[in-house]
Amino acid sequence: MSLFWIAIRQLAEIEEQMASSKKVITRGEWEKRLNDVKIRKEDMNKLVMNFLVTEGYVEAAEKFWMESGTEPDIDLATITERMAVKKAVQCGNVDDAIEKVNDLNPEILDTNPQLFFHLQQQRLIELIRNGKIEAALEFAQEELAPRGEENQSFLEELERTVSLLAFEDVSNCPVGELLDISQRLKTASEVNAAILTSQSHEKDPKLPSLLKMLIWAQNQLDEKATYPRINDLSNATLEEPTV
Amino acid sequence: MPSATVNNHRPSELLSRLASAEPEVKVRALREVKNQIIGNRTKKLSFLKLGAVPSVAGILADSIDEVTENDNRNNNNTNNILVQSAAALGSFACGFDAGVQAVLDAGAFPNLLRLLANPNEKVVDAGARALRMIYQSKLAPKYDFLQQKNMEFLISLLSSEKENVSGLGASIITRSCETNLEQKTLFDAGILRKLNSLLEGGSLSQRDASLESLSTIFRNNPEVISKFAGPEIGRPFSSIIDLTKDRYPRTRLLACMCLIVIRNASPHFLQDIGIKTKIIHILLELLDDPGQVGDEAPFAFSSLIAQKEDLQKLALEANAIDKLHHHLQKGSFHPRRFEGILLALADMCSKLESCRSQFLSLQVLNLVADALTDYNSGVRTAACVCLKSVTRSMKNLSAGYFMNEIIVIPLVQLFLDPSSSVQVAALGAVSNIVVDFTTRKSVFVQCGGMKQLVQLSKSMESSVRSNALWALKNFVFQADNRLKEGVFSELTASLLSDLICDPEPSVQEQALALVRNLVDGCINLIEFVFAEDGLILGAIGRQLQCASKAEIGIQGMYALCNVASGNEFHKEAVIQQLFSQMDDKNQSFVIKFLQSNDSQLRTATVWTIVNLTCPSSHGAPGRLEKLHNSGITSQLKNMVNDPCVDVKLRVRTVLGQSMAFGDN
Repeated sequence: MSLFWIAIRQLAEIEEQMASSKKVITRGEWEKRLNDVKIRKEDMNKLVMNFLVTEGYVEAAEKFWMESGTEPDIDLATITERMAVKKAVQCGNVDDAIEKVNDLNPEILDTNPQLFFHLQQQRLIELIRNGKIEAALEFAQEELAPRGEENQSFLEELERTVSLLAFEDVSNCPVGELLDISQRLKTASEVNAAILTSQSHEKDPKLPSLLKMLIWAQNQLDEKATYPRINDLSNATLEEPTV
Repeated sequence: MPSATVNNHRPSELLSRLASAEPEVKVRALREVKNQIIGNRTKKLSFLKLGAVPSVAGILADSIDEVTENDNRNNNNTNNILVQSAAALGSFACGFDAGVQAVLDAGAFPNLLRLLANPNEKVVDAGARALRMIYQSKLAPKYDFLQQKNMEFLISLLSSEKENVSGLGASIITRSCETNLEQKTLFDAGILRKLNSLLEGGSLSQRDASLESLSTIFRNNPEVISKFAGPEIGRPFSSIIDLTKDRYPRTRLLACMCLIVIRNASPHFLQDIGIKTKIIHILLELLDDPGQVGDEAPFAFSSLIAQKEDLQKLALEANAIDKLHHHLQKGSFHPRRFEGILLALADMCSKLESCRSQFLSLQVLNLVADALTDYNSGVRTAACVCLKSVTRSMKNLSAGYFMNEIIVIPLVQLFLDPSSSVQVAALGAVSNIVVDFTTRKSVFVQCGGMKQLVQLSKSMESSVRSNALWALKNFVFQADNRLKEGVFSELTASLLSDLICDPEPSVQEQALALVRNLVDGCINLIEFVFAEDGLILGAIGRQLQCASKAEIGIQGMYALCNVASGNEFHKEAVIQQLFSQMDDKNQSFVIKFLQSNDSQLRTATVWTIVNLTCPSSHGAPGRLEKLHNSGITSQLKNMVNDPCVDVKLRVRTVLGQSMAFGDN
């Protein structure tokens, strides 16, 4: 029985329990009820495919398609292009990423001022990271300052980024987190989401929502009953109800 | 590694590479231009100034005719050139009117259209996209739907499976469809069915584009709407209603806007209270969206409830005012959103006292007063419009609630605003506030408000003049003599008589109404109209002779009526005015007014005659004779059964008064 299956059944069962007034449910009882919950395999497969596709695991999605017969809901070729963009940002090759996005769909950056600003911001950060201070100054003046002029809401972030140039020891300054890899990942995620939206695909996979729902539902039921909980999502084991 | 800095890619250097004969160099240069301008308005402008658009358009024109043999490499290069040049032109046009104009001026439009017939998919896509960008602007060329050929082309666009191409078809409709005839033509060609199928089976962008097009076709056209709804018993517009629950906020907004267009054109559709409440809830919830959707939501809300009491009531029950207030409190948002929320509140409070009470109880007034000094003129105007609505609350007006410094002083400052629409809106709000029954009008006078109003009555803009007079008219309504004298001496008789004879009818009307209010009440005040050799009285007489609309006649007659309530001298002066302005036909305007369809005008005229002929005045018989000789008395006799009660009673009063002098 896959972990996934367990988690979903848990969720379905909890929703039913909310209606009744029992206080304590033993493990045996609970597991029996779980077994009675009907979940369709096709639904699970779709969820898995959705996850693979949204996160960009092209080869895995192709293989899963072959092996399960589940069709992806978007063209896998576009995933490859999207992943190339995401990877470029994650590696700090922002110029390359911008060129690729523009080849994919020139409207994305033309209609997303915030995203465009963040990409330009990342370019500046990379120049500073590589010690190219002269180039960074020129870039800040020519490319970043106009963004602030065009849109006042960017001014604050602009100032933060430019202030990196003022510090000798960039890794220890107040805005040092901008140099962190997490900043690259944040920007990469933003680009990924924008591309997905432009392709009319939802930018978040369904699986996390399902798990969040499970955690929430368990918390709700906690107020009414004691029952076997799933406390560790990664292994989905049912823990004994503590009386 | 980040690429080399701008040195190698200076705009002028790039442009010279565009002119290269080698296709590969050209393609790279085009691509570089495209990548530099996308998202970058500043760069678009600088490339524009260097003449980039004609260069790129020229390249497109040259390449489009290239006959491609089986030479794949040439094919590739040509296609790349077409794609990159179309993409660059599209980007110049994206959200940038100067760019759109440049692209059109460079003659690229027909070539972009030709790209749609190209065998290569990417070329078609690039062309469609560029055209779509152009059609998002109001500078786009007008599309003639009435030509058969054009309609067929449009249908082919909408039938395409490619998103960008069908999206282009929808954009053309949204931009260019204006008249009822065009709407009908589109309906007859089956376009609505196509759009509806895109609603049900299309992608996100196709659905959104269809919703916008449908709204454009339905706007103010009940005939097309009912034809679309058809005779089916099921739910008409079900596909649109379903989209109000879509997961994407923009789709929900567009769907609501479409339903609102339908309802505004054909109120008998979408009567169900459930759907109305649902739309209200959805729009209020969309206010939470941080982006453009949230900015536009309040405007859609306004279009739903404006002028409609029943919907305002429903919205009040849905806690609209609380929610709008909540969003106002958040502060620091886009000026458009600020403007929208203020206008939504203005519409909510425009008719219902219950809404105004709710508004005032929440202390929203302070936030609105702050908005009066906002740097954005749209926001300032909206704040004034909001105040105008709220100050219709008689209860609070008469308690003097609004005559305080927080509101009055910034409003008076707006009289000097550089934007005339702000001035007019401020005047609208002030007009209500100065109707202050506690006569605590001193705040207004002290901050120089009255003098400012007189200044504004001399404005070049007629709407400013008429609104300033309106405010003055309200200001002197039942005010004490001292106040009225102050106004009159500031105005002067010559200015007032000029305004009575102003070229604009609305200004004439307000000026006459102002005189009416000035002379009302106390006999001393009647002297105003005699100042400087009877300038004002003469002006009134002249204007009444050539009154272009009933409202002018009404105000003028009431002014004369008030003068005629004075002493002998006053009454004689009035009767002189009634007859001295006769034209060749020797018919006084009095008869024309008595025969008017407008009951208020007839009432005002008869009242004046009542005052002129009241038995206690010894000149009455003489005046009665004049009235008789000019046929007015016979006219009155025909009116003893006038459908309007006021007129009927006053006519009988006059005839009764004339009997007292033995007249038959």
